[in-house]
Amino acid sequence: MKIIEMLTSDRSRMYLIGTAVLLILLPPLFSILFSSRYSSGESAAGFLEMPDAKYKQCVRDKAYMRVHHMDYLKEIREQFVRYGERGDISLSTCSGCHTSRDQFCDRCHSAVNLNLDCFGCHYYPESNSQEAAAGVTKWTDANS
Amino acid sequence: MDRRKFLKSTGLVISATSTALQLPVSSCQMASSGMDRKRKLSENKWGMLIDLNRCSPGCTECLTACRRENNVAFHGDERWDVHWLRKVNLKDHQTGNKKDVLLLCNHCENPPCAQVCPVQATYKREDGIVIVDHHRCIGCRYCMIACPYNARFFNFKENPDWPNKDYPKRSHGVVESCNFCAHRVDQGMKPACVEACEKSGNGAILFGNLNDRDSDISRKIAATPVKRIREDLGTEPKVYYIGL
Repeated sequence: MKIIEMLTSDRSRMYLIGTAVLLILLPPLFSILFSSRYSSGESAAGFLEMPDAKYKQCVRDKAYMRVHHMDYLKEIREQFVRYGERGDISLSTCSGCHTSRDQFCDRCHSAVNLNLDCFGCHYYPESNSQEAAAGVTKWTDANS
Repeated sequence: MDRRKFLKSTGLVISATSTALQLPVSSCQMASSGMDRKRKLSENKWGMLIDLNRCSPGCTECLTACRRENNVAFHGDERWDVHWLRKVNLKDHQTGNKKDVLLLCNHCENPPCAQVCPVQATYKREDGIVIVDHHRCIGCRYCMIACPYNARFFNFKENPDWPNKDYPKRSHGVVESCNFCAHRVDQGMKPACVEACEKSGNGAILFGNLNDRDSDISRKIAATPVKRIREDLGTEPKVYYIGL
């Protein structure tokens, strides 16, 4: 009985409402905090290098590709393998602009110790060739 | 404003802002749905007709073309070699007749390999091509046991060569077999072996759509006596032979 009395008292009611409001407010607060990570808050300048002779625009916008490129590749793969729909975009579209695997794929993946199985079967040229090294310009937000 | 109204309105405002802030990154939107894609594929049913009478004995054009197109591993050791297409010399013990027979995946209508695959890596596409999703294959080799035609091979070793860089090779630990050059067929081309056979002048292999009654292959199958290997098994192969 005492507990019920405590809960129905004015002060505890205030506390209850306070916690409820906080709980409702928390998820959008989090989404605001973490969305800044997706929407070009940080710059990748100088980290992912690429020759941009051909490059004008990626197949999707940069913020999307940065976070979801693996989902995108999986979706394309499904189309290729299961439904025989071979669109214009494939892994060789990536390597058309981002010619060096070392500087494009492996930089992040080896930094987070992620071993990809892709290149055991799929061809993606590695960096060491001369012309790839010569054509490399820094990735900046201006040319993306 | 009483408390009830206040709570209601704040809840509304909060939910509205949170939905507005959601970024449009949740899902990949693709142009066509799965059903459309299936219907598009199922218009065709690919089949092959091999005329053994026109296949010349010493010729290996189709075999090399297949190897080059699909990066099929050749180590020079029969324990590890992979063959999508084989030429086998058969001898009839009663008559002593010898014959070269081309053997490949028969792309059965009821494929036993696809039935036993525990991870659905092997499956029959809507256009009848039996194909392996090497991303999904776990290398259990159950399909090799199930296949009555010995058409499937396991990659015991990494393939050292990579002649066709546009087409992926297979890493070790997966099973592979002929897929009627599905990547070429999807682009409207013929399989590599068929093209090589035509180029060599023999023209022993015919490839086409079995659903279409006016296609070359359907007409020839209707006009000439053809055989399929082990028809008694009920697998309904789509590779037909003349002169078997």
